[in-house]
Amino acid sequence: MQAQAPLIRLRGVGKTYPAAGGDFQALSALDLDIHAGEFVAVVGPSGSGKSTLLNLLAGIDRAGSGELSVAGRDLRALPERELSRWRGTAVGVVFQFFQLLPTLTALENVMLPMDFGNRWPAAERPERAQALLARLGVGDQAHKFPSALSGGQQQRVALARALANAPRLVLADEPTGNLDSANAEAILTLLAALASEQGVTVVMVTHEAAALGQVQRSLRLRDGRLVEDRRHG
Amino acid sequence: MADRRLLKSWRDLWLHRARSLLVVLAVALGLAAAGTVLNAWALVERATDEGYRSSLPVSATLVLDRADAAALALARAEPGIAAARLRRSVGASVLAGGRSRHAVVVALDDFARTDIARLQTVSGDWPPESGGLWMERSSLDFSGATVGEAIALRLAGTEGTQAVPLKGIVRDVSLAPGWMENVVYLYGSEAALAALGAPAGFNELQVRLKDTRASRARVREAGTALQARLARAGYTVRALDVPEPGQHIHAAQMDSLLMTQGAFGLMALAACGFIVVNLVSAMLAGQVREIAVMKVLGGSPRQIGAMVLAQAGALGLLASVLALPLAWWLGRLYGGLKADMLNFTLDGVATPAWALVLQAGVGLALPLAAAAAPVRAALRRPVGEALRDIGLTRDGQALGLRRGALAARMVPWLGGWARPVLLAVGNALRRRQRMVLTVLALASGGAVYLGAANLRSAVQGSVDEIFGAQQFQLQLRVAAPAPAGQLEALAAKVPGVAQARAWRSLRTRLGPEPLTLLGVPEDGLLGPRLIEGRWVDGSGTPQLVVTRLLQRQQPALTVGSVHHIAGRDWTVVGLIDGGPQALGYTSRAALDALAGNDLANSLVLRLERPTSTVALLDAVRQLREALADAGMPVASSQSQAESRRVVEDHLLMVVDFLGAMGLVMIAVGAMGLASTMGLAVLERRREIGVLRAIGASDSAILAMIQAEGLTLVALGWLVSLPLSLPISAALEVAFGRIMFSVPWRLVPSPGAALGWLALMALISLLACALPARRALRIPAAQALAYA
Repeated sequence: MQAQAPLIRLRGVGKTYPAAGGDFQALSALDLDIHAGEFVAVVGPSGSGKSTLLNLLAGIDRAGSGELSVAGRDLRALPERELSRWRGTAVGVVFQFFQLLPTLTALENVMLPMDFGNRWPAAERPERAQALLARLGVGDQAHKFPSALSGGQQQRVALARALANAPRLVLADEPTGNLDSANAEAILTLLAALASEQGVTVVMVTHEAAALGQVQRSLRLRDGRLVEDRRHG
Repeated sequence: MADRRLLKSWRDLWLHRARSLLVVLAVALGLAAAGTVLNAWALVERATDEGYRSSLPVSATLVLDRADAAALALARAEPGIAAARLRRSVGASVLAGGRSRHAVVVALDDFARTDIARLQTVSGDWPPESGGLWMERSSLDFSGATVGEAIALRLAGTEGTQAVPLKGIVRDVSLAPGWMENVVYLYGSEAALAALGAPAGFNELQVRLKDTRASRARVREAGTALQARLARAGYTVRALDVPEPGQHIHAAQMDSLLMTQGAFGLMALAACGFIVVNLVSAMLAGQVREIAVMKVLGGSPRQIGAMVLAQAGALGLLASVLALPLAWWLGRLYGGLKADMLNFTLDGVATPAWALVLQAGVGLALPLAAAAAPVRAALRRPVGEALRDIGLTRDGQALGLRRGALAARMVPWLGGWARPVLLAVGNALRRRQRMVLTVLALASGGAVYLGAANLRSAVQGSVDEIFGAQQFQLQLRVAAPAPAGQLEALAAKVPGVAQARAWRSLRTRLGPEPLTLLGVPEDGLLGPRLIEGRWVDGSGTPQLVVTRLLQRQQPALTVGSVHHIAGRDWTVVGLIDGGPQALGYTSRAALDALAGNDLANSLVLRLERPTSTVALLDAVRQLREALADAGMPVASSQSQAESRRVVEDHLLMVVDFLGAMGLVMIAVGAMGLASTMGLAVLERRREIGVLRAIGASDSAILAMIQAEGLTLVALGWLVSLPLSLPISAALEVAFGRIMFSVPWRLVPSPGAALGWLALMALISLLACALPARRALRIPAAQALAYA
């Protein structure tokens, strides 16, 4: 696996945000390779640049400097509308606060990325979405709206949505931050299974100490720099 | 299963159905207002154009000493003339329903003819061959007469009243409505008129040209050529009258009125557009994160933009479904009223398809156009920034800092109540785009309302001035010109008459255009205010004082100019307002010199008891008797009070039509305020929860919300005051095109300005009450947890 080209490649990546008190350097000269199928945790104190890194990998934010290549695409060079299209098929994102669309049911939330990406024929989408929900243990909640679901159920639906277009990369920003320990454990197990069984690369920002027991690798950031890159188990 | 994008769009609209409904109502209101005027204009255009042309209107009327079959044959022999007829019209008065009205009785050589100025039978046996008269339909209600019953008629120049059966009703589209002109139009056979005492035979020759597109100048040429042929054949032609070809006499006025209302309809639509922009912006503000999430899920800006615009389009479609039938119905109602004012009917006239299609297009396009810029801005916002959005605007924060510093300085000076009030004022200013659009919607409504009030005041002032200049209460027309001195002497002897003055008039021409001169003696009981120059002196030299309307019709009549009229050179020495009259005043002595006699055709009388109706009626009766006994019978009489009432009703009706749009604009402004305050409260439920958590009472929060609404009203009021100046000018210019120019009143009266402020303040209190009460019903904990 290590011999193949990395799925994610960063060289000298930096990101600065303007702030009232002067520019804030969120990331600085970051060099990083992540290969396909890895389950990686990004850890560090608040303000260390963890979410910024995830946003750059998802194309949600643009790097200010350096080279950034994800799933074979140079993200800095990609125009906005192509970025959306790329994101829809190559990346699945899981948010801390789930970010399910409140006026769509669980099933419809999972099908929405399929409608955007147009990867699957329309007739197949409901079945695919139902299968994803069932695999994540919420198949029986398909026709409920997010407001009727528990936190754990919502995050499973969000994960199913992230997998809707069979992406090669799943980015999860504090996926267990809003869950109790039992649900958090379950989500971590699902993410680990994605990487180990389906070869999906999972990069997860987390504060959970328990997560380090599930991941293969952890990256520690401090003040926008990579200070530790450790392999586990 | 429906595409999820469509499902989301529809369900989002339903979730925020109050806001969605406001958008629909705002678009529907503006569309209905503008659409009503457009439909009415299109219907009236079609009805009058088709109706007038199909009536084969008269191109020219020649007034002769005698008009007979030979004259008719001469006219028909002219190569350019398609049809001709003979006519006699006689002045009269009708007594019906207890009231006396001025009337004109018309006889034609052949009522069965349909190739010129067709009359349409409404009821009764047509054509009239025997005794009895037919009435023009627009005169029926006004006259108080009933078909089948007799009316009391006295022809000018005859004594005594005769009972004449009213046999039927006709429609003559070439005439302005009788009720508008204050005239009862009657038709009868030549024999019927002769039996009533009218001179035998005809005195008018009316022709219609073959060339229906001939200009007025061309028609006049043809008329002049015919005049010359008639003169060579021994006829005396006293006058040649050429109306504007192909156009009803009031068509231009009606067009101006409807166009002006249409402009205000568009203004209402624009104001509704402001409201829609606010509402759509608020809708998008609430979807910032969801739009960002959809981008993360792979939605392209085009796909997401289409979803939001589909929402806007759906609302526009719904608004069109509501507004179009309403505008169609109101347009027919209003158009019917307008057509009736021109003596036409909308029967068989359909609203043109283009008008309906245009309205549907605007209804769909308005919310789309309103959404375009906010959607573009929302889609351009970086995803990361949108996901980090926590609902406070940068503008709000900066303003909050300044506002906080200002409050800190003012509170010790004003007292403890100042901080919450200043907070409320600051809240009103927080979202600048929304505030500006709301204030504009309010201000435009107020400006039109104040402008209409100014116009009413200007028109009233003009009427006051016109009638204030007339120092008499009664005016009589004698059936035949009589020596002025004799008329005055006889009239002065009648008990109750304080002063009597004889006037004479002359119908002549200035170039090709008709001109009426009114000769008044010194102390002719007329004292108008001069706008320019001076009044005529009593020297008898040819001097003119013209009215403003006459000068507008004939711009060469400037003060100091000299014109050749009726064989003499006349100098224009003065200019007066004159209102709706297009006249030239001169001295009676000047007209006497021109005519070589002192014959006058009217008397104006100042009464000893000017305000007594009984004295007036008594004077009229005695004057008629006295003058008839002296062989100078009265053709008609009119009190100045009646004249003033007719003129005022007519003018104020036009003012009210113009001002009606002001009410629509106020409704739009009120809706804008209600929607803005509803949104403001909705968006700040969390903030309200914080205020309650730190000890603010319900009444304090209610007062803050009301203060915010009143701040917007105050700002709208302040902006409407200067905005009303150009609106007043526009209305007064429009009125001038429709009727006559009035002295401009641009500055709103304090009463109108304060009245509007009070009205909007009341609306604000009501508009803010409901959303405020709803917000207060939510428990503080729930409001704080709301995300």
